[in-house]
Amino acid sequence: MSAADTLADQYAAALAQRGVVLRDDFIEGARALEDVLDPADLERWASVAADLAAQSLRSWEAAQEFFKASPQVATVLPFELLMRWARVAEHLCESSPLIAAAYIRATPAALEQIPPDPDFDIGIQGEFLTEQTISKTDLDRWAEAGERLHQGNWKSIALSVLFFELSPKLLASLSMEQIDDLIDVLVILAERSYQLAQTCLEAAPDLFAALDFNDREPFLQFAAALSRASWADTRLYFERGPDLVVRIEAEQRGAFLTLASRVVQSSGRQGFPHFMETANALGMIPPSEHAALLGLAGTLARRSPVAAMAFLRSAPIVLQRITADQLAQWVEPGSRLLFDDGNIEGADAYFQLQSTRAEQTLTSLSARVELQAIHGLLRMYAKALTGASIAIRSSEDLVEKGIGWVTESMATTEGTAIFLPPFVGVYPEQQSNFQCYKVFTTHQTGRIEFGSFGYRYGIEGAYAPVSVTEREAALAPRERDALTEMERYYDLFPQRTLIASLFTIAEDTRVDAQVSREYGGIRVWLRRLQSREADRRPDVMDQGLRNAFVENLLRASLGRRDAIRWPAPLMPTLETALSALAVVEQPGATVEDAAEVAAALYDIASILPNTRRNYDDEEWEQPPADMGSEGQMPSGMGQDQREMPEGEGDEEFEAPQQPEFRGDFKPELVQLLSRLRDQQAGDDGEGMSLSREQVMDMLEKSSEVSLSEQAQGEVAASMGAFLTNLEKEAQAAAQAQKKKQQQQDGEGDADDGEENNADLPNEVTWSYYDEWDFRASDYRPRWCRVGERLGDEGTLEYYQDTLQRHHGLVVETRRQFELMRPESFRRIKKLEDGEELDLDRAIEFIVDKRAGVGPLAQIYWRRNKVERDVAVAFLMDMSASTDEEVEKPRVNERPDGNFTGDPRNYFQWLAERRSRLIAEAPKRIVDLEKESLVLIVEALEAIGDSYGIYGFSGYGRDNVEYHVIKDLGEKFGDKVRRRIDKIQPIRSTRMGPAIRHTIAKLEEYDAKVKILILVSDGRPQDHGYGRDRTEKEYAVHDTHQALVEAKRAGIMPFLITVDKEGHDYMKEMCSDVGYEVVDDIEQLPRRLTSLYKVIAAD
Amino acid sequence: MTSSFKQMAVEDFRLTSEPYYLPIADEVQLFETAYDQHIPVLLKGPTGCGKTRFVEYMSWRLHGHLNRSGNEGVPLITVACHEDLTASDLVGRYLLEGEETRWIDGPITRAVKVGAICYLDEIVEARKDTTVLIHPLTDYRRLLPIDKRGELLEAAEGFLLVLSYNPGYQSALKDLKHSTRQRFIAIEFNYPPRDQETEIIRIEAGCSVEIAGELAKLAEKVRNLREHGLAEGVSTRLLVYAGKLIANGISPRRACQTAVVWGLTDDSEVQQSIEEVVTSIFPE
Ligand SMILES: Nc1ncnc2c1ncn2[C@@H]1O[C@H](COP(=O)(O)OP(=O)(O)OP(=O)(O)O)[C@@H](O)[C@H]1O
Ligand SMILES: [Mg+2]
Repeated sequence: MSAADTLADQYAAALAQRGVVLRDDFIEGARALEDVLDPADLERWASVAADLAAQSLRSWEAAQEFFKASPQVATVLPFELLMRWARVAEHLCESSPLIAAAYIRATPAALEQIPPDPDFDIGIQGEFLTEQTISKTDLDRWAEAGERLHQGNWKSIALSVLFFELSPKLLASLSMEQIDDLIDVLVILAERSYQLAQTCLEAAPDLFAALDFNDREPFLQFAAALSRASWADTRLYFERGPDLVVRIEAEQRGAFLTLASRVVQSSGRQGFPHFMETANALGMIPPSEHAALLGLAGTLARRSPVAAMAFLRSAPIVLQRITADQLAQWVEPGSRLLFDDGNIEGADAYFQLQSTRAEQTLTSLSARVELQAIHGLLRMYAKALTGASIAIRSSEDLVEKGIGWVTESMATTEGTAIFLPPFVGVYPEQQSNFQCYKVFTTHQTGRIEFGSFGYRYGIEGAYAPVSVTEREAALAPRERDALTEMERYYDLFPQRTLIASLFTIAEDTRVDAQVSREYGGIRVWLRRLQSREADRRPDVMDQGLRNAFVENLLRASLGRRDAIRWPAPLMPTLETALSALAVVEQPGATVEDAAEVAAALYDIASILPNTRRNYDDEEWEQPPADMGSEGQMPSGMGQDQREMPEGEGDEEFEAPQQPEFRGDFKPELVQLLSRLRDQQAGDDGEGMSLSREQVMDMLEKSSEVSLSEQAQGEVAASMGAFLTNLEKEAQAAAQAQKKKQQQQDGEGDADDGEENNADLPNEVTWSYYDEWDFRASDYRPRWCRVGERLGDEGTLEYYQDTLQRHHGLVVETRRQFELMRPESFRRIKKLEDGEELDLDRAIEFIVDKRAGVGPLAQIYWRRNKVERDVAVAFLMDMSASTDEEVEKPRVNERPDGNFTGDPRNYFQWLAERRSRLIAEAPKRIVDLEKESLVLIVEALEAIGDSYGIYGFSGYGRDNVEYHVIKDLGEKFGDKVRRRIDKIQPIRSTRMGPAIRHTIAKLEEYDAKVKILILVSDGRPQDHGYGRDRTEKEYAVHDTHQALVEAKRAGIMPFLITVDKEGHDYMKEMCSDVGYEVVDDIEQLPRRLTSLYKVIAAD
Repeated sequence: MTSSFKQMAVEDFRLTSEPYYLPIADEVQLFETAYDQHIPVLLKGPTGCGKTRFVEYMSWRLHGHLNRSGNEGVPLITVACHEDLTASDLVGRYLLEGEETRWIDGPITRAVKVGAICYLDEIVEARKDTTVLIHPLTDYRRLLPIDKRGELLEAAEGFLLVLSYNPGYQSALKDLKHSTRQRFIAIEFNYPPRDQETEIIRIEAGCSVEIAGELAKLAEKVRNLREHGLAEGVSTRLLVYAGKLIANGISPRRACQTAVVWGLTDDSEVQQSIEEVVTSIFPE
């Protein structure tokens, strides 16, 4: 009998637990151990194993695993440690045999991962063990770690079991310390949700294996912070984190995660979204910049981790506009806010790009010039140069229209608008980039100013006589009349692309020459850009001969004859061509000259074979500097066809790429477009309207239509779409023109105007305003969007009813206001000089003088004109809260309810009163606002002051609704009456932007005294008007700031509120601005008028 | 000691040499005929386009019409009208002198008496009641009532009333009454076409033709901005100033900046676009 059997018998009782017989497993384990352990040790093992099995009801499960695992473990661990392991298992088993089983089961694999312990006493165990000897402490810690997950319930047991199961993998990438950290996270998560903890744990092995060694620690650190601040996000972090982290340059990941942990600690739930955004943002920046960025961020983080993260998030946007070297300069003002002023909120806003200062710093540092910033300037510039109203647009817009232009980075024009690239950043100085824009614009206005689109068939140029018309005879008769003059011209040439390219070159040459001559001031920059373009041309020697010819002409047209390379044998041809091109450079050359020149060049080009490599490289020469610089129309083709080389494989001619500042030139399309526009506007002079077929026919052969690449496949279908776009474009332009016309016509008679616009849709026009962030003490640029629209119209009844109901009050108010109407002249007396002698004073004076008193000779008078020149804007709160009913426990009659007036009006009064008592529905605040309006309108009409009435409401900063009930310049009439009826409670109260918009309106209006009266029912309030829903200060400060802006603009603001709690915040909101809290809401109409009298008196 | 300035009564002032005036259209002939026929003239046009110069020139030119000596013009009395200009400012008033009152004639009375051309500059600025005063003077009667003295003055032979009026900034408030307007023939002035303006600038400023031409070009471009942020186009007067600065050594860009850009507007965006036009035309 083997030792194993003996031992099995010895412990038979212990090994038979609850019907489970462990004997076989035991024997198997013991047998395997016989070779490894000496008998005494084996005996000890058996005793421990038996104890384990007998420990509790279900400890057999752990014991079974123990028997199985022991032989393997024993080969790795010295016996002492084996025993220690067994004790740990026993200990675990006390709390849960399942956990113990998992622990034991995982041990052999785990041991392979746990590093050997250098402190272990080698001497006793022999050398061969040293390599594999495992730290005793590690084994303990590992077990303890798993045990920490166990909270006594089955879910926690499952979690702990899972941990041990996954341990071998985890230990492959994490140290014991890191395992502890992971457990910390899991423990916190488990308090909230075992499910969540389990998911994270399941994700952990692969996740950490994927992470770089150095990233694991910080990753865990952030996880720890996150689980504490915003536990629910942890799962997402475990899922996506590794992908996000790898976007950051390897060396910097640690620093970034550490920073992120700090942010999470201070900003809670926002922490994780910020982390994701920031990591994404960094992903957009080349990794080589990361170190510098994180360095700067690190400094900021010392005071505000939030600002540091915000900085990183803004970095991609900022780096689009300034170079990495300038970054520190941009950070500077923000960090001064942070460190010197201690204005953390301000710095946060700065780095989030939500402050005007941040924007300004960026602008001043950025060399890149944005079209948006100089758009208005260029529009006026173009207007000055051409005398036409030309829109300046981004070339992206033109491409979007789908009417034949496809390149976004170039400048171009379609005759009524100039399209420019959205930004220019070619040069390192802003001034130079701006000059680029100027050259771009001037070339395009040049096309308009110098008539590039005005080609007329058969008209003589200034230098070249008409010859193209002779070509028509040789052609088949036209099937239909040409739609445009350009079409007729192009139709003369079989190779349309070739003639179009040549005409473009000739015409651009002419325009550049004219621009140079007329605008000496930009000549330098025009040359510079021409030269820059000439240096970027494709290799000419590599092209087919005809293409090379055209390419050379283009270089010549850029003023760079030195960049020309041409085969020496063919030099005479080029000379003829260059002389022809020089014709259009002469003063006063017209577009017809350009057309003739292009035709002559066409003849030369068309006999050149478009084959490559007919000549050796050495034969390509730079022509003499002055060759063909004298303008001269060619008499023949330069060289005889027989002298031309014969090459293989004639290639199709390709139009050369246009220089950026010239951009696409599409005279045929522009002429068509302008004809379509005229047609839409209904004044097609030729009396022939274009059919769709005709237009399609023309477009199909035109070389000017570029379709986007996808569309090229199905030409016919996309042509249809193209035409539709074209028509749409023409229609829009025609409508705009018509509208302008109407406005001009309608100016004289305002009354008719009312009917005219009746069916116009209620259009919304948007304006943007900054908002004041008091924490940052800076504006958030273009933060709010105000949409102005006309108020809806209701019926006239409301207005009339109100008038009737308040008849007495209305009459009284009118009379009072009429009294205020100023006399137009006032006589001023006692002047030393004036209009007329004041006889009484003169006599007095003489008397005094004789008496020796000798007063001043103030004996004249004059009349002074007193003009009342007041404009007032009423801004009415249309927020939802005005829907509230006004409580009316009205015991006392209102003052105007008691009859005190003329006895003759008694019956009227009585009737009024009765009707009021019977019919009065409960009133809402908004009803009182409306009544006040009716009253004030009557009063103002009496006094003759200009006034506007506006209502505001909205939701969020993007949608502040601004309803025009009556505009300042608008005449009072039924429309206004009807609009008053439709005033109704809508949404929130974002006062700041509404005030700012009103200021803008008043500023445009011409009056000596300007007043803004805001009527509201409570504090300013809106979604996002403050940091969170409960914060009220932000809104109050912004409103206050808007009121201050009003004062700065010379406008007198006044606030009236019916909010009984108004006194507390009004004081703050209106420091040094007039306000009144109307306690008795029903008094609003009366108070408003009487207040107005006070405010608007001198 | 002799003083360096000359002082004289307004009616004694005569032009003694021919002022430079370049006729643009038929205005000279029109004015001459009107003068002979006693038809009052209204000169309409934007500021600085040569109205005053024209009147001066005409007053010189017209001497032959009155058989006066050949080296001096018809007397010219100019009144710049302003908001507070009253009827007595024009007609005359009593002044207190010692213990007496003394009457002094206003400019219009003097003009009527000596037969001068009376030029009321910017007439719309004056008060409406003032303009009524000139009504009897401008119809066939040619009478000036002086209410305060109970007198009626008949205009001397050479008298002509000329008004100027700038329709550019007319507002509804400040428009000429129809009854006033319909007593005048209106000669419309405008900024001269480029070539003529070039000539005017060259002569007035004493600069080269090239500079004068560039300035005229600039003017044309800037005038394109009227109603687009600019109430008035740049006047010939300002161009002459710029020309003078350039002729005397100031760089063209700088001269245009001071004379043209800043003279026109305070709106910085408009200023900037004009400046861009300037820098496009004049090289550094
Ligand atoms: N046709 C012209 N011939 C000569 N000089 C001219 C002519 N037109 C304008 N000028 C020049 O323009 C200057 C300004 O003209 P002027 O003072 O007559 O303007 P105005 O029309 O009277 O302006 P305002 O309405 O401001 O009084 C003159 O001094 C003169 O140099
Ligand atoms: Mg004048």
